[in-house]
Amino acid sequence: MVLAAQCGDEEAFRELYQAYRDPIWIMINSLIGDSLQAQDVLQNVFFKAFRGLGGFRFQSCLLTWIYRIAHNECRNHLRKRSVPVIPLEAILGSRDEIDRTRISDPSEARKAVLRDVVMELPLKMREVIVLKYVEDLSYKEMSRILGCPPGTVASRLNRALAELEARLRPFRGIL
Amino acid sequence: MNCRCLFLRRKFVPYLEGGISSRQAERLEQHLADCRECGEFFTRLRAGHQAGRQFGRVGPEIGRRPPDFEELQADIGKTLNRRGVPVRTGGTFLHALTTSFAVRALFALALALSFLLLHSNRITLWRANGRAAMPSKAREYRDFTPLRITDFSSNTKSPVVTEGFVRDVYFDREEKTLHIKLVDVQQKAEPFVICEIPSPGGMTIPREGSHVRVYGMARYDSQPGRGWNEVNPVVNIDLLKR
Repeated sequence: MVLAAQCGDEEAFRELYQAYRDPIWIMINSLIGDSLQAQDVLQNVFFKAFRGLGGFRFQSCLLTWIYRIAHNECRNHLRKRSVPVIPLEAILGSRDEIDRTRISDPSEARKAVLRDVVMELPLKMREVIVLKYVEDLSYKEMSRILGCPPGTVASRLNRALAELEARLRPFRGIL
Repeated sequence: MNCRCLFLRRKFVPYLEGGISSRQAERLEQHLADCRECGEFFTRLRAGHQAGRQFGRVGPEIGRRPPDFEELQADIGKTLNRRGVPVRTGGTFLHALTTSFAVRALFALALALSFLLLHSNRITLWRANGRAAMPSKAREYRDFTPLRITDFSSNTKSPVVTEGFVRDVYFDREEKTLHIKLVDVQQKAEPFVICEIPSPGGMTIPREGSHVRVYGMARYDSQPGRGWNEVNPVVNIDLLKR
């Protein structure tokens, strides 16, 4: 299928897109946090992937290769975007308010808090958490995507998890 | 925290996932029992790991579905412009891809043309500075009439290009000009032409005995004591054989 796409077969492009769209879509949304912007990024990712497909040498899994493009594209997008960081409390209200307003649906409250806390992590921490827990990738695959050794990935993941734990500590009551 | 702590901490997540050997797990558990700092960090990490797994199940909040291939094809033109200005190609997805190739080809063509333009400007500037320009091959054959040394006496054309053997090379101090005596046959002193180079800078000066091709203006020097055919000024010399 990849070879056919490399030869310019449109049907092969379609199949590749359908095969890899969903994991890339979830990754982009996890990093960008806005599905409207994520749609533009997804288009850029697949456009660049298909344009560069001729240079793909099968040295890694194609999905890993596209993940890497997506990762770079997300970083570029976030670098260009200059939206001020809004504190979690400004969105969810104070901790007491959260407890009162969402106590009726604790499951939704847990999800909302978890998502917001992860999305507020610095990008480097967020991306390792997304690749590890959302995309379920190995350290080796993560190292290829992030462009750093597996040991660095492990250290970065440790820091990210410790930070996540620290930020979730105030919400223990609802988690 | 020492190097051992740093090394073992990298194994914490694989340990929590059961991804390390039992021997490694034993060593790690022993270390956790001995090192209070790592023990505390492990407790935090385990909580973070559980939260990460929870997030993996929940996933990000996605307000819309990803575009279909057809939508991607239709919208792909928007993503082409890096400045963020929407540009529609109006074609298919493959058309957009080939368009970018066409842009690259045009760019390469523009680059080649710029180089040619620059090169031709350099020649013009060279001439403007009063130095003898090196005519291109096409120009040599178009503007310079081929002429044998034996035919100079009946020649009426100029500029000319002639070939011969260098018999003598000398510098005329009075005229401050380099003279080359060119003969038709190497062993014979006549017939000959004198090639005068007023400004030899940038020109290869041949040695005696070399076979050369000389470009320049054909003249007849009628001064007393001279009375010979000349190529004056010489604009270029091609060395055919040393």
